[in-house]
Amino acid sequence: MEIIINNLVYAAFGFYLLLIIVGGLAAIMAKSLVRALVGLIMTLFGVAGMYFLMAATFIALMQILIYIGAVSVLIFFSIMLTRVPDGEAGMENSSRKPSGRILLTMVTALMPAFILGAIVIRNCPPALKLKPETSLAELGKFLTGPYSLAFELISVVLFVAMAGAVLLGFERRK
Amino acid sequence: MNHLVLFHLTALVLLGFGLFGLVSRKTLVGMLISVELMLNGAGLALVASSRLTPAVDAVGQLGALFVMGLAAAEATLVLAIILVVFKRMGTTESKDVSVLRG
Repeated sequence: MEIIINNLVYAAFGFYLLLIIVGGLAAIMAKSLVRALVGLIMTLFGVAGMYFLMAATFIALMQILIYIGAVSVLIFFSIMLTRVPDGEAGMENSSRKPSGRILLTMVTALMPAFILGAIVIRNCPPALKLKPETSLAELGKFLTGPYSLAFELISVVLFVAMAGAVLLGFERRK
Repeated sequence: MNHLVLFHLTALVLLGFGLFGLVSRKTLVGMLISVELMLNGAGLALVASSRLTPAVDAVGQLGALFVMGLAAAEATLVLAIILVVFKRMGTTESKDVSVLRG
């Protein structure tokens, strides 16, 4: 019985990993920005699934609520509002890049990930069994206790960001 | 190769995708999408480290929640900036947006 459950967990992990990789590739390679956004949403669902796998239910639901519900709608708005007059919305110019530059980009971008990956593989602590799920009440107590300053600060940051966005969006009267 | 390493490697895949997109994308919106990928990787690594090690559980989970809040604030501001840039210069290609003027 335990073997079956173990294999199921690995299968679920593989499925979410597939979602993340395919979505991520779409997000960074697609010519159309709308397709890239759909890829991003796929990746976000994959990450939410991984949170569920780790029994972090609250964070998984917040991921779906905040990222997929709010942030991707914002990005969609910014794609739609920046279309050039006689073009399709959200297309990137497809000037051909020389393949050498793509290679250089890859080296630049993937070097940090590879270095960090080597460090992670070399000094990984022994894995524990998954702890029992932290209840929402406990999380809330932690949020208002040790994390109360961060909690207040993030609300200030959100307020400042919203106010700044509104301020930036105002038309200046000539 | 245990579970913790698998989750961390997934987070690193997200980081690599995000960095690659940030370097190779030509429009500001594309770069915003790549930044969201990287932030997701950060959140995943935080939650994995708190769930699968002896660390206090709430620290990592609430840290990931804060990352999400910061991502929302950042996306709002970037949306406003993109709109202003588009209104003034008529484009959001990063190579054309190279003039600093008050």
